[in-house]
Amino acid sequence: MKLDHSLVTRRTFLNTLFGGWLAAIASGGLYAFLKFVFPTAGKEPDFVVLNRADFLDIPGNTVKMFAWGGKPGFFLKRDDGTTLAVKGVCTHMECNISYQPDVKKFYCACHKGWFDDNGRNIAGPPPKPLERFDIVITGQKLVIAKKGAKVDLPKA
Amino acid sequence: MISRKLEDWITERYDIKGLGRLLRAKYVPSHCLDASYFTGGLTLFLFIVQFLTGMGLALYYVPHSEYAYKSIVDIMTKLNMGWFFRSLHHWGAQLAIASLFVHFFANLLLKAYRKPRELLWVTGFIMIIVLVFFGLSGYFLIWDQRAFTAIRVATGGAGNLPLIGGPIKVFLRGGIDVTQETLTRFYALHVAILPMISLIIIGLHVLLVQVHGMSVPVSQKDKQGQPQPFFPNVFYKDLIIWFLATGIIVTLAVLLPAGIGTKADPMAPAPENIKPEWYFLFVFQTLKLFPGQMAGFNGETIAMTVISLSVLFVLLVPFLDKRSSAGKPSLAYTCIGVFYLLYFVAMTIIGFLN
Repeated sequence: MKLDHSLVTRRTFLNTLFGGWLAAIASGGLYAFLKFVFPTAGKEPDFVVLNRADFLDIPGNTVKMFAWGGKPGFFLKRDDGTTLAVKGVCTHMECNISYQPDVKKFYCACHKGWFDDNGRNIAGPPPKPLERFDIVITGQKLVIAKKGAKVDLPKA
Repeated sequence: MISRKLEDWITERYDIKGLGRLLRAKYVPSHCLDASYFTGGLTLFLFIVQFLTGMGLALYYVPHSEYAYKSIVDIMTKLNMGWFFRSLHHWGAQLAIASLFVHFFANLLLKAYRKPRELLWVTGFIMIIVLVFFGLSGYFLIWDQRAFTAIRVATGGAGNLPLIGGPIKVFLRGGIDVTQETLTRFYALHVAILPMISLIIIGLHVLLVQVHGMSVPVSQKDKQGQPQPFFPNVFYKDLIIWFLATGIIVTLAVLLPAGIGTKADPMAPAPENIKPEWYFLFVFQTLKLFPGQMAGFNGETIAMTVISLSVLFVLLVPFLDKRSSAGKPSLAYTCIGVFYLLYFVAMTIIGFLN
């Protein structure tokens, strides 16, 4: 039945009200469920604090690994004593890489990608250079930080 | 006497004779391409094998990054017949996937998807996706170095899809990295979510086959022989194939038991010459065709998009192939089907040889 000045019938009104109520409950529930199912991603560390002596005293043309969140990081000391810190994950498909001292390059075994001792992608499929980190030495600590990240060390 | 009474007792409550009549009323067309009808039954049988062996394995497997690897080693070395049932599960999976691919290509080429069987095609397509995720998640559970790297690459690859890639990657990994969270998720997928989805989708698929009957290819419409009764004629042929399949997986399980590498270490470099499971080789090879950068875009993103669209096209074939649905020969879609088949086979072989 439709009142004289009404735009819709009572049936349409009730159906819309009931349907809208169902839709609201369902979408609210779905939203909450999706929020639950998709985790908060978390993020990689801005910097890691390491022991200076453990890293700076390694021989030339060797690497020492450190944990960059859940992934490996490489601290490289070249023959001339200069150093480099990179994330040890290939920029192609995220496989862990390794350092090959005989050719002085980083190598990814998954699809045969090569990076030079500056982290530049020089052969194979990797589309980008390795992620390079800043190396900061403060006292007995070696801080390896994301490029441009603010390093806040707790006062010792 | 007892069985007679039991039968009466049940019949008073449910007419089981009706099921028998239904079974006897089912006839299967016969023509020179009717061998394709057995591929579905074989896939179903292998699924049952996977369900049964999987239930056994689930009694012992520990879904924790510290203990998962050890629990597999224990299953293989300490438990009675553990090596056998894990190997059965391993080879059963390989064969189930192979059998589903054969089932898929046979029905693609014979146009079994045409009206009114579009929903059969859609449910079958969902099952292919489900089975691929079954394979991926099951493979990861052993938590060895190869599995770990493979899952990092596979979930990272999905992350290369435009827009939806990021959320998919985080959803699959349960975070930004492959960790315990990922193992928990893949375990839940493998033992709870995917089996549940499979039961529903396979149920629908089999129900729809009963409703529509077997599809007769257009070319065989006028060359059919006498339809065969499903029970017992066709059923016994099904049984023969199932026994053969059992023989094959038991033989493979005994002669080539499933192995395991070294325990996964998230910090260790990727193993040399790593290759995905054979049913992912064609994706792996396709990715190799694309350079890292293409016209300013990430090559992986373009590759993943192309692959996803090609897969999506398969889903839409019944709705696009109007000639087949009208009961006419459809050369274009035969060519497309042959191309897909050749591409899949060629890329898989190249992947093997590389």
